[in-house]
Amino acid sequence: MLKDVLREINDSDYISKANIAIKLNRTEGLIEDAFSQLIRMGYIIEDKGVNNCNISCGNCPLARSCNKEFITSIAITEKGYKLLQK
Amino acid sequence: MRTIALVGNPNSGKTTLFNALTGSNQHVGNWPGVTVEKKEGKLNFKGKEYNIVDLPGTYSLGAFSEDEVIARDFILSGNPDVIIDVVDANNIERNLYLTTQLLEMGKKVVIALNMMDEAERKNIQFDIGKLSKKLGIPVIPTIASKGIGIEDIMQASIDMIYGDIGTGSPLQYNEIINHHIEYIENVLKDEKLPYPIRWTALKIVENDEEVLQKLEESDISDDSMRNIEDFFKYHSSENFELEIIDSRYAFAHRVTEGAVKRPQEESTTLTDRIDRIVTNKYLGVPIFAIIMFVVFQLTFEIGEEILGEAAVSLIENLGGLIQVFLIAIKAPNWFISFIIDGAINGVGAVIEFVPLITILYLLLGFLEDSGYMARAAYVWDNLMRRLGLQGRAFVSMIIGFGCNVPGIMSTRTLDNKKDRMITTLINPFMSCGAKLPIYSVFIAAFFPNHGGLILFSLYTLGIMIALIMAKVFSKTLFKGESSYLIMELPPYRMPTIKNVLRNMWDNIYGFLKRAGTTVFAVVTLVWVLAVLPASAEPYGQFTILGRMGTFLAPILMPAGFGNWQASVALFAGLPAKEAVVGTLGLLYAGEYAEEGSLLINSIQQHFTSLTALSYMVMTLLYTPCAAVLGTIKKETGSIKWTVFMALYTFAIGWIVAVMVFQIGSLLGFN
Repeated sequence: MLKDVLREINDSDYISKANIAIKLNRTEGLIEDAFSQLIRMGYIIEDKGVNNCNISCGNCPLARSCNKEFITSIAITEKGYKLLQK
Repeated sequence: MRTIALVGNPNSGKTTLFNALTGSNQHVGNWPGVTVEKKEGKLNFKGKEYNIVDLPGTYSLGAFSEDEVIARDFILSGNPDVIIDVVDANNIERNLYLTTQLLEMGKKVVIALNMMDEAERKNIQFDIGKLSKKLGIPVIPTIASKGIGIEDIMQASIDMIYGDIGTGSPLQYNEIINHHIEYIENVLKDEKLPYPIRWTALKIVENDEEVLQKLEESDISDDSMRNIEDFFKYHSSENFELEIIDSRYAFAHRVTEGAVKRPQEESTTLTDRIDRIVTNKYLGVPIFAIIMFVVFQLTFEIGEEILGEAAVSLIENLGGLIQVFLIAIKAPNWFISFIIDGAINGVGAVIEFVPLITILYLLLGFLEDSGYMARAAYVWDNLMRRLGLQGRAFVSMIIGFGCNVPGIMSTRTLDNKKDRMITTLINPFMSCGAKLPIYSVFIAAFFPNHGGLILFSLYTLGIMIALIMAKVFSKTLFKGESSYLIMELPPYRMPTIKNVLRNMWDNIYGFLKRAGTTVFAVVTLVWVLAVLPASAEPYGQFTILGRMGTFLAPILMPAGFGNWQASVALFAGLPAKEAVVGTLGLLYAGEYAEEGSLLINSIQQHFTSLTALSYMVMTLLYTPCAAVLGTIKKETGSIKWTVFMALYTFAIGWIVAVMVFQIGSLLGFN
């Protein structure tokens, strides 16, 4: 299933976990789980922008509104592409 | 006393079941060496007392989080007599992943199929007998929140402890993995291991680093360790971990097949249907443009024309009252001048725009929380890709609409230098919130009936210049391939009032804090420079500020606004863009103090519609503020790029502003 999810990511213009779940006849929760596993194993990387940054905001007046990003992006790693080619 | 452990995914109702089992007979401590909460309780069932342990909620029993390690160690080393695996009936397939790992450990497991009431409402049907048969362990339906099934789950657990019930169906992996497990089992068969041998062998094949480390620290012989190391050397290119995880998912799928019946889902979701239009190749950008136009129109209509006037009156009345008070207490003239001209006319001129900022961020927060902004980024991502650029860069650009500092910082997640540098260099063309007061003053003075259109045009111009410069940079300064990121589009949802208001308040707070700190400091400095030397007429051309402005004015003359006040205000905007309005407020209001003119009236005296337009274009594009330049220095680690940024943006701003003025003049606009 993990490879199928990876293939769906590769073949899509954008990622919709709900769509992948429908396509693979699995639940959305399970697809979310699969994403976590693929990230943990290094097949994909998740980019949540500055949410994960370690920048010290100090007295910056915009600190409260700065670390908000509404977009998550996924990139397939070299390891992921190798798996797809197998 | 027998011990029963409760495990389960987060939000599976595990703690509710624990409370239902133990009532008030429980105590809370910490797991040894960590700060994770450990809950234990006692249960008296049919005359016997049992120790119930609530393990941390976890999705799996790997070694990837503290919770997983605690749960795994307790199951393996704490030797519970039986494990109640709390499974959320609504998410059974996902929850069964954990179950498969429990079965791999060879432990006695009973499943509490919890939240059955919710599942029933969703019309999910279960064949409990079939589930139990396929898993090889008892499955008991429960509704822990209502105390339903509690006795049954206890009875099944006790039957498991004392009875002769098997410990579940062993999972089947593929032939190669089975072979490797057997090989490792054979290597370890005479060793004294901290964990069960088959599970240890499986974890070694799965390359579980925590188990491998535990083995190294144990009394295992050097020969066995060498054999294991050889195994990894030989199979280094293969990834059994993925195969094993997939086997667990496949097992969970086989178990639910025929035993769990979900209502037929629609082949396309509502989100899907909306996205077909909103993210359409041809319609996506026009739809985005229309939405943003409406946002700016509403911002201007409500924020400026309705609420803005009230804010202006409030600041003016407050200024009047303070002035009367200061005169009454015979405050020195210089102090009255500082408070009224500097603080009230300067900082107050910025604060007057709070309603505008409020409405804009309220509307943007609504779009963001609904999931639309992710679509907007996707639409632009597509367009940028077609221009041969990194699509993800547009996300940084959208962030830049709030403030360029986080916009630039977000570029650090781009994985190649080309993308990072280009995105950094074009980010300041995204019009940040601090520039809104400048536009608003000029719009109110010259284009009161077309506020939304002017705002929309300015933001669009910023995007266009950014795209053009990105293309120029990718063809000249930074060549190479862009990395490929795929955006995730969350489902649409009804925005929550709490999220929208919080987003709005966070932005207002930032705006007010800047007005009270940086803008106030800049305006104070500008006021000092505008009244010195004492021999010069305050706010006149022969003050220090006046002389600075007079020096700068000829540079800006070709753009049509070559008066010294406008020039020096642009300069004052370098520490913080809001200070442009603050400085204009201070200088013009100071100049016309005796006439009691408003900033807008003063601006109408010094600008025409055309020069106002070129001034707005200049403020949109020229050198970013000091905080942005500091961030660029920090992110690029280069003074060279920081200076380049300051100069090239000034040059672009100047060129476009001059073009607007000169072409406008040629066409006969005033």
